[in-house]
Formats: sequence, structure tokens, C-alpha cells
Amino acid sequence: MNSSVHIHRKQLKFLVIFAVAIAAGIALSIFWGQDWSLPRSPMSGGATTVINRTSRGFEQPAPNLSEAELQDHLEGDRAFEAVFVTPPAPVNSGLGPLFNNASCAGCHIRDGRGMPVKGQMLVRVSLPPGYPIPQEDQEVIFESHPEASVTLGNAPPVPGIGTQIQDQAVYGYQPEAEVEISWQKSFDNYADGTTYELRSPVAQITLPNGQPLPPEVLTSLRIPTPIFGRGLLEAIADQTILALADPEDTNKDGISGRPNMVWDTTAQKVVLGRFGHKANIPDLLQQSASAYVNDMGVTNPLFPEKDDSSDIDDRTLKTATFYTQTLAVPARTMIDDPIVKQGEKLFNQANCAACHVAQLRTANYEIPALAHQTIYPYSDLLLHDMGSELADRRPDFAATGTEWRTPPLWGLGLTQTVLPYSGYLHDGRARTLAEAILWHGGEAAQSKEIFIKMSQSDRDALIRFLNSL
Amino acid sequence: MRFHLQQRTWVAVFAGILLSASACQNQTSTIANTTSSNTTSAASTSQFSDRQIVSDFADQVVIPTNQLFAQKAAQLSKAIDTFVRNPNEQTLAAARNAWRDARSPWEQSESFTFGPADSLGYDAALDSWPVNETDLTAVLQSNDPLTVETIQKRQDTEKGFHAIEFLLFGTENNKQISDFNQRELEYLQALGQDFSRVANELVASWTTGVEGQPAYREVLATAGESSNSNYPTLPSGAAEITQGMIDSLDEVANEKIGEPLAQKDTKLLESRFSFHTLEDLKSNVKGAENVYLGRFSDANTNGKGISNFIAQVNPDLDARIKSQFQSSMTALEKIPAPLETAMANPQAVPQIQAAQTAIDSLQQTMRQEVLPLVQN
Repeated sequence: MNSSVHIHRKQLKFLVIFAVAIAAGIALSIFWGQDWSLPRSPMSGGATTVINRTSRGFEQPAPNLSEAELQDHLEGDRAFEAVFVTPPAPVNSGLGPLFNNASCAGCHIRDGRGMPVKGQMLVRVSLPPGYPIPQEDQEVIFESHPEASVTLGNAPPVPGIGTQIQDQAVYGYQPEAEVEISWQKSFDNYADGTTYELRSPVAQITLPNGQPLPPEVLTSLRIPTPIFGRGLLEAIADQTILALADPEDTNKDGISGRPNMVWDTTAQKVVLGRFGHKANIPDLLQQSASAYVNDMGVTNPLFPEKDDSSDIDDRTLKTATFYTQTLAVPARTMIDDPIVKQGEKLFNQANCAACHVAQLRTANYEIPALAHQTIYPYSDLLLHDMGSELADRRPDFAATGTEWRTPPLWGLGLTQTVLPYSGYLHDGRARTLAEAILWHGGEAAQSKEIFIKMSQSDRDALIRFLNSL
Repeated sequence: MRFHLQQRTWVAVFAGILLSASACQNQTSTIANTTSSNTTSAASTSQFSDRQIVSDFADQVVIPTNQLFAQKAAQLSKAIDTFVRNPNEQTLAAARNAWRDARSPWEQSESFTFGPADSLGYDAALDSWPVNETDLTAVLQSNDPLTVETIQKRQDTEKGFHAIEFLLFGTENNKQISDFNQRELEYLQALGQDFSRVANELVASWTTGVEGQPAYREVLATAGESSNSNYPTLPSGAAEITQGMIDSLDEVANEKIGEPLAQKDTKLLESRFSFHTLEDLKSNVKGAENVYLGRFSDANTNGKGISNFIAQVNPDLDARIKSQFQSSMTALEKIPAPLETAMANPQAVPQIQAAQTAIDSLQQTMRQEVLPLVQN
């Protein structure tokens, strides 16, 4: 009797320690998994993943939302689709007077990217850092160009324009400028002798008075980015992103990775930036609110009219934001295809994964469905020097004129399914994924060289892997 | 004793770590295995592999629908010209009928507005909603030249179907001949020409290719080939077809009917100026049915549709969907036209709700039962 109790106790003790060790083991293997193993899961967005490889693949709600959350998502979907018109109007009043597009979905087509064409391509402008702006211009700038109010001072707004060209206007108003894009072509060879052609945009910007933009003005052309999976990116803890940074390249791999530090309009302080081509936006509420006011001329509670009224109310702003937070990530396809597997190996061998970090983990988050998920965005959300060929030479908060944020690669293979003929990179210059790789420079120059030296079949395998994402 | 316990502890720790680490690895590979074994087992029984269904969708449904639309768009432009040259009751009625006739194939195409229609801006140029009445009115009141060239530069919400509708029908389907002024006639004429031009471009984008791009039909006809990155597998092509039906039916039930009904606001009805919304909805459902059956009934084309595949793998489901299409259409026909006045009539509300329920339940069947079958 006595001895059996004794044994039970021993067993219990063993079991408790055993259980603790299992937990530790799980934690450890997750930690190991991050560094060692190739991610083999098709579930790119964790439990928010949806199986959908169609032109609607970016437009699906996360499947793990509660019923109430799903209703909010659908309400936000309608706000995202709403086409604004000039006030006064019975429906969707509030457009302009200046704008780039009349709806969210008009730029982020089917929740994917947009084309490098009028209404979808955006031109950011500023004067060189430290450039003196006459006092009388300053007041006008901040009054009529709300985008210029979000600043750390190193991108002085351009008088008459602000920091973003609104190239459309409602009747009776003058657009800030007219933007004409032409394409410049260049040719080069792969190591095996195959020729390739690249193109890059040249913007001809004409002011209302018929004059070109003054030569000192810095310009940056950008296409809209896909909006699915953004809630997951928002749910990643600051320290997770900062831990990936290596600003001084202490590990000497030629790749630094710097966080952008940007102005937070809500908190009125400098915080980590993570959205936009230069990671110049801190969170999705501010992203949505600034897109409403700057891209559509629709005032909202974060950027109201002078009398504090606004074209849309708080609920509309919040549900539209909620919509962008709760879109599903499409599951990968063809993950057992041997060529895809070979391509994934080449992707890692070429060190692409140094910046396009495959696997990350979300933290606590206001939307429980998105919290504590293992996700596969293929991005570190950090800034990297991409070389002079891609440089816009326009600083954006802490981002220099050669730095761009690593774009997530999840859903990449659906880009042309969602929006045929659309392009890759910040200005849509790359018509194919191969062209996008070939534009890589700076910190990514070595990876590009490896790609150039690959055989045709290895290049195809790498592209097929990217298309499986 | 102490030493003994420590030894036990280490055994437990190592065993635990080993077990949990291998369990974790198993877990990861289980997800992958489940996916691949699903695929494998499906392959032997019911995996979608019928290329003809995907290419017939392009050739027997999408292209003939767009072609009829382009024809009707040209007729609309012509009817507007006739009306502008000689405005009277008869020519006005003819122009309005031509608008309704163009509306039918267009609304039937709602199940496949993907592809070039979005990328090249055709959908926005043809069917933006709502109309920017403020700017449109300002342009009419100005002395700005009204030509096809100047119209093209206006916003999408000042052209296309609904701008033409606004000018032809007035805001309450009550415009009289005497209400038309010269500027409106000029604007209408330019809109009609621009409209017909865009409709032709849309057809060309699918049949011959525009802007240096190949014909979009090829993208579907080659679904599943390794060079096709848009649809690298045949199931993804079948899913595209199915998803289009789901989205159009969902939109009919929950936005086009659901929203105005919930808000009790007829201003949210799509073709409210012409009192034509109910006909639009019928065309939407008919268009989804065309897709399902692989045909375009208005042009008597006939190919293989998703129905053929479903009939093979789950004949009961196929029969159920066909009957749900039938009951959705019957429910819409029971709503007293026009919807613009029916919605304000308490006695008609149950019929509107019944139609919404029928279409929503069809959409659910497609989403929950058809989509998983075609895309596995």
C-alpha cells in the first residue's frame, strides 16, 4: 500500500517534469524550425488561410472570424468598394476636390495591386531635405495638402502640390499636375547568353501652367500594393521585426535590414513603420485614413474638415480598416511539385530568404483570429538598399533614397490571375517575375548574380516556386 | 536519492524534448500529407481534369455574351444618334429600349468580369455606379466642348450605362421629350459612341488581344499547362468559373437586394433611374446559369459546363443546383415590377425576401459544395 503510493508519487513527479519538458521541447522546436527547416506548409496565413487560386483569391474573408466579425468584414467590404462622387450627392458623397481615384477598390483592384496608369499610379514628391520653403507658402501647404502634415521634416512639401500629386479633380478644380508615363528599355544577357529586356518608367510631369516640375523636386512613382494578409503583418510584434534588423551588417553577409521610424499621427510620436513601399505607415487605421483623405479627398475622423466634420464617419473608417485587416491569405499551390521544391531550394541557396524571410509569428492582437499564428509572408518588413537602378532618391522618414521595404511574396503567383498585365516592384516596371529579380541590386546584387548564372531550367524552377506562393 | 531524482528528471526532460520535437515535425508533415493524399485520392475518383469545360467557358459563354453585348452597344449608340437627330416620343422609346437590350447581355456577364475587363478599365468605364450627378450637371451647364475625346477624359462615374440612363430616363424614369436640352443630347451622343467603342475593346481583349497582349481566351484554353502561370492547374480554372458564379449570386442576394432592403432605401437600387433593377437581377441569375451549363442561351451556343462535371461526381447535387436556379428565377418573377416601387410596398416585401433567400441559398450550395469539388 505504502510503496504503491510512493510509486504513484514518483510517477506523478515524472509525469509533471515530462509534461514541462514537452512544452519546452515544442517551444524549442518552433525556435529551431524558424532557422533550419524549409517551410512546407501550404497555410501561408496560418488559420486565416483560404484555398482559392482564382481572380478572387485576395478577396476572401479569413475563414476563422466569428460571425459578428464576418458581418463587420462584409460591411467593410462594401465601404472598400464604394465609389465616391462629388458632393452633394444622395449616395457616396465626398469625393475631392482633388483626388487620385474615386474608390479604394479602384486602385487595389480585387484587393491586389494596381496598374502603372493614371488613377492607380501615385507620385510622391518632395523638395530635398533642408530646402527652404517661404513662410507664406507653408501655411497654404499645410492647409490644403493634408498629406504634408505627416512628416519628420526631411521631405519638405512642394508648394502647390504637397507630398503627393493628386492628378484628378472634380469639376471646377484644377488637378495638381498631369503625369505621363513613358517606358525606357534596356537589354542584357543571362550568363548562358539568353538576352532579356527590361523597362523602366519615365514620368513627364506637367504643372497646370504648362511648365514641367522644377528640377529640384524629388519624385517617387508607386503602384498600389495588395492588401490581403495585412492584419497578420500588423499583428507581428515590433521586437520580432527589430530582431531581424542588422543595420550595421554585423554578421557581414552584405545585408543590413533597417527599420523605418515614422510619424504616428494618432500617438503623436515616432514609431516603427511597416506598411507601404518604404514602410512609411505605422498601422492600418492610419493607412486607411490617409488613403481616404489623400487618394480620394474623402475627409474622415482622423483627417477631418476644418470644422471637424467629415465625409465618412468613424464606423465607416473602422470597418474599411477592419476589412483590410481580416482578408484571408491564399494557400500555396503545387507544394509537392518536384520543380517547385527544387525552386525553393534555389531560392534559399541564392540567399533570397535573407530578406524575404519565409516564416514569422504573430503576437497578441486586437482580433483574436489573427493572434499567435505561424505565417509565411516571405518578408522581414525592413528596409534594404536595393541599388541605384531601383532608387527613387527620395527619402521617406528614415528610409533613404535607395531603400525599399521587402515586399511580402505570399500570394505572388496569383498576381496576374487577379490583375492580368499588372507589374511587379514599386512602380510596376517588371512585367515578369524574372524581370523583378533582375532589377534587384544593392544588398540583393549577389542574389541577382546567382540568378543570372543559373541554367534556364533552374531559373524556371525558381520562378515556378515563386508562382506556387 | 537526490541523485536518483536528478537522473529521472533528465530522462523526463530528454524524453519530453525528443517526443515533442518529433511530434511537431509530424504535425507539419501531416498538414502536407493530408493535402497531398486528398489530392491523390481525389485524382483516382473525381479530380477535375476536363479541359474542355474550361475552354468552352471562354468560347461558348464569355465570348458570345460579350459579342452580343457589343452588338447591342452599337445599336444603342445608333438609336441615340437617331433620337438626337430627331427627338420625339418614338425615337426616345427606341433609345430607351436599346439601353435595356444592351443591359441584358451585360448583366448576364456579371459572373465573369475578371481578366482584362478589370485590368484595362472596361468594367469601370462601362458600368460605374453611382453617377456623379453633381459633376455631370456642371459639365452640362458649362460651355465645355462635348465630344468623344473630351468625354473620355471625364471620370468613369460620368459615363457608361448609368450616365446614359440618367440622361435618357431622368432620375425617376419620368423624363419628357421637352426636358431634353441640346447639351444633354450632345453629351448622350458622345457617351453612346464611347460606350460602343469600349464594348468592342472588351470583345477584342478576349478574342484577338489588345495593347500587345494575347487573347485572354488563351489563358483559359491553356489552363493546367506548365507555361500557364495564371491557371497552373485545371482545378484552378474550374474554381475561377465557379467563384465567378458565387460572387455574382452573392452580390445579387446580399448587396443588390439585401442592402436596399435592409436600409429601406431605393436610391441604392442599381438601375433606379430606369426602374430596370429587377430585370438586371434576372439577367444576373440567368448569366450564372449559363456559366453553370456552359452555354449562352441568347445566342444558342452550347458547350460543356461545370454541370457536366458535377453530374458525373454527384448527380444529386447537379439536380439540386438546377432546381435552385429554377426556384431563384421563379422567386424573382414573383416580385411585382418595378422593384423601385415594390420595395416601398409592404405587401411585396415577403416576395423580395423570398427571392433573396432563394438566391442566397443557391450561392451557399455553390460555395460549400461545388467549389470544394472542383478545386480539390
